[in-house]
Amino acid sequence: MKSNHIILTFKTLAFSVWLFVGLSCENDPKDFQQATYSKNPEVFIDGFSPTLGYGAFSGSVLTAFQVDNEVTYNNSAASMRFDVPSVNDPDGTYAGGVFLTSVPRDLSGYDALTFWAKATKTASLDVVGFGNDFGLNKYQASINGLNINTTWKKYIIPLPDASKLKAEKGMLLVSEGPENGAGYSFWLDDVKFEKLGTLAHGQASIFAGDNKTETSFNGVQTNISGIQYVVNLPNGINQSMSISSSYLDFVSSNPAVATVDASGVISTLGQGTTVITASLGSESAAGSLTLNSFGTFVNAPLPTRDPSTVKSIFSNAYTNVPVKYYNGYYEPYQTTRSADFTVGGDDVLNYTNFNFVGIEFSEPTIDGSNLSHLHVDLFMPNPIVAGTTFKVNLVDFGANAAFGGGDDTNHVTTFSPPTIVSQNWISLNIPLSSMTGLASKAHLAQIIFEGTNIPNFYADNIYFYNDGSVIPATPTVAAPTPTTPAANVISIFSNAYTNVAGSDYNPNWGQATVTTQVNIAGNTTLKYAGLNYQGLQFGTPQNVTSKNFLHLDYYTANSTSLKVYLISPGPVEKAVVLTVPTTGGWRSIDIPLTSFSPVNLSNLIQMKFDGNGTIFLDNIYFRD
Amino acid sequence: MKKIFLFSIVALSMTGCNSDDKGQQIDSRNWQLVWSDEFDGASGDLPDASKWGFDLGTGANGWGNQELQHYTNRPQNIALDGAGNLVITALKENYQSSQYTSARIKTQNLFSQAYGRFEARLISPYGQGIWPAFWLLGANIDTVSWPACGEIDVMEIKGQQPSIVNGTIHGPGYSGANAISGRYALQYDRFDKGYHLFAIEWDADKIDFFVDGYLYQRIEKSDVPGEWVYDHPFFMILNVAVGGNYLGNPTNDTPFPQKMTIDYVRVYR
Repeated sequence: MKSNHIILTFKTLAFSVWLFVGLSCENDPKDFQQATYSKNPEVFIDGFSPTLGYGAFSGSVLTAFQVDNEVTYNNSAASMRFDVPSVNDPDGTYAGGVFLTSVPRDLSGYDALTFWAKATKTASLDVVGFGNDFGLNKYQASINGLNINTTWKKYIIPLPDASKLKAEKGMLLVSEGPENGAGYSFWLDDVKFEKLGTLAHGQASIFAGDNKTETSFNGVQTNISGIQYVVNLPNGINQSMSISSSYLDFVSSNPAVATVDASGVISTLGQGTTVITASLGSESAAGSLTLNSFGTFVNAPLPTRDPSTVKSIFSNAYTNVPVKYYNGYYEPYQTTRSADFTVGGDDVLNYTNFNFVGIEFSEPTIDGSNLSHLHVDLFMPNPIVAGTTFKVNLVDFGANAAFGGGDDTNHVTTFSPPTIVSQNWISLNIPLSSMTGLASKAHLAQIIFEGTNIPNFYADNIYFYNDGSVIPATPTVAAPTPTTPAANVISIFSNAYTNVAGSDYNPNWGQATVTTQVNIAGNTTLKYAGLNYQGLQFGTPQNVTSKNFLHLDYYTANSTSLKVYLISPGPVEKAVVLTVPTTGGWRSIDIPLTSFSPVNLSNLIQMKFDGNGTIFLDNIYFRD
Repeated sequence: MKKIFLFSIVALSMTGCNSDDKGQQIDSRNWQLVWSDEFDGASGDLPDASKWGFDLGTGANGWGNQELQHYTNRPQNIALDGAGNLVITALKENYQSSQYTSARIKTQNLFSQAYGRFEARLISPYGQGIWPAFWLLGANIDTVSWPACGEIDVMEIKGQQPSIVNGTIHGPGYSGANAISGRYALQYDRFDKGYHLFAIEWDADKIDFFVDGYLYQRIEKSDVPGEWVYDHPFFMILNVAVGGNYLGNPTNDTPFPQKMTIDYVRVYR
């Protein structure tokens, strides 16, 4: 069966549609009282009742509904037939639509929509109800999963609160997909509203009847969820229904703390406690929400890490990686629920009834090889008691990048007071290098929080980052773009300038170094792999006496020794030592040319690097 | 109530809902109140011990009908509500190897009477397998046994038919499935939506069954195929049974708890 989501796009059928058969509403035009509408109870007896039309749902088989003159209840003239498609039917995935009147009707004198139904096989209709008018659907109510069988039988769709239905257009709503993949047909007949008097004990619920308690802050908005209606049918059986929130009236016991609007949106405004309840007509709905508001929410510290150094799991400050879930609801031992909230535009994870909870980001896993730390901001709203611990368990899925398979490793980092405090944000920065239990960081996939004596906490800004201590073997970004005006530059190697023509970037001086030009983030970059020494032959001798500095951008993850030389004929050469490795990424340096004395700056013919490791070089130029 | 109903029985012609019927209101008589319980007491109290005793436990063979409940005298199964009602509550709970608990009270050895008017005003419970009753048994049951003692069921409702009340007598030669029974169906209403008054008026020759003052069944001496045993004192019983072969067992869809709310029981002569 298909899901019960209704697509509210309206498409008229080519053939049927809007049978205007005159208005049955007879108002005296001189009467200035509020219009009263027809109380005609008939929807489809042996044909469309006055002003009734049909519209099929988008995505449904538009021809699924037919008026049938062959198969009818009680051998009457006509019935409604719905031909449900099988899966993969190119015409649509289900049969569904709305029968609505062009002129509203007053249904307030009735208590049920009834009809007779049968099907070519036993089936469960996904949605049968009323109140869908292809508009606001203000008073939609339906039974989701109405079991029908192969013989004609009468069915009842109760009206939750008929007093609200004084101007209703949505007479009948039907939506049904294949049963176990297979299509079939069902019929409805004698569809009408009735006053049965034999429905009883109607009970609306919010939050599925639970009495919930949540912590809140100014600016938090949440929705009333779990709206249900249960009514006892004439056979003594309770029938559950889906009803729109408009049937209910919502109340906040302390509007200074939080308000609730007609659609069930709760907005927290101040500090204190309020209880949100609902009623259907004069009857109280089951379930409530007690909001304990702390008042002004103090957001977690705003992250300051450069986004290029961050892999974010949950933060509004960064673009998050794909996350499978923020609460895995692991069975059977997990008690933790999620009551996440948004305050001041910042999303906050809120774990209630906490014992442990898992976050998974396995599709794809995160390669943490170039990351140094895990950052988590935590807030404990409750007092910290003796014996409180908070554990961060980071899981790597191993080479198969999937849970299990014998290659998963993990490390648990435990925190306790005084690190763990109450009602202040706790910023944890856990070095991945301290996680000795992780055999690999290449397939990070889960963070599991575990706690003792922590009933509730908020989490924000969960991300991995590199503080610069981990240097990727190959730079992930291009060298900084030079800003010196071209007029002030004699360029040897740079995409930013016109270089001295004819230079040989890899003269054969017998070196072991493997020199290539590689593309790093769109920028041509010199790469010296396995450096022992490496020369660079200028195309023509250069007089740089008008310049003050040699500029270099260099990058190395693994070098422990690196020197740069300028060379004039003789040869006369002089080395300047460069700091390696380049913690934090590309390093830009401007070396005063005076450092190369006694090299003849009016006649430079070569330069040279020596040392070890793999070196990336860019933007080699002389500048004023 | 007492014995197995092998199949459902609906006898006699005088079923309800027949508004064309004349003579369904009979001349009011000058009844003298001789016994009553208005159930005015503090919330949580058990019913007046000078008027009511308890049947406890599971009886023999589920009180003769394979009923499922264990009757207790705990306040959660039976108590005054402080608003002038006695409430008998059927609960779904595991209790001493039963799945349900409820309560059953009787005036046996405390009050019995032959003839007169017996009435109870109450709100019925409801749901598949819920079986409330207000009924009478011959006070000589311990000497002549059932059905020779006679049984008059003033009110029995099958919870899956909350708009229908059944009035029945059981006697020697016409008990259980062969009992003499009639029923009355409310139109546009149910017995669990509000108070209704269930009564019999009984004299030496006949028993009349009423709902809300409407006579829906008269059983005369000549109507019974056996001995007319309604000539000696009877005592009263109020109970809510759960399941059994009269109406079938509850399902997972049967709402619990289920309450029978009794405003009063009155007996006239």
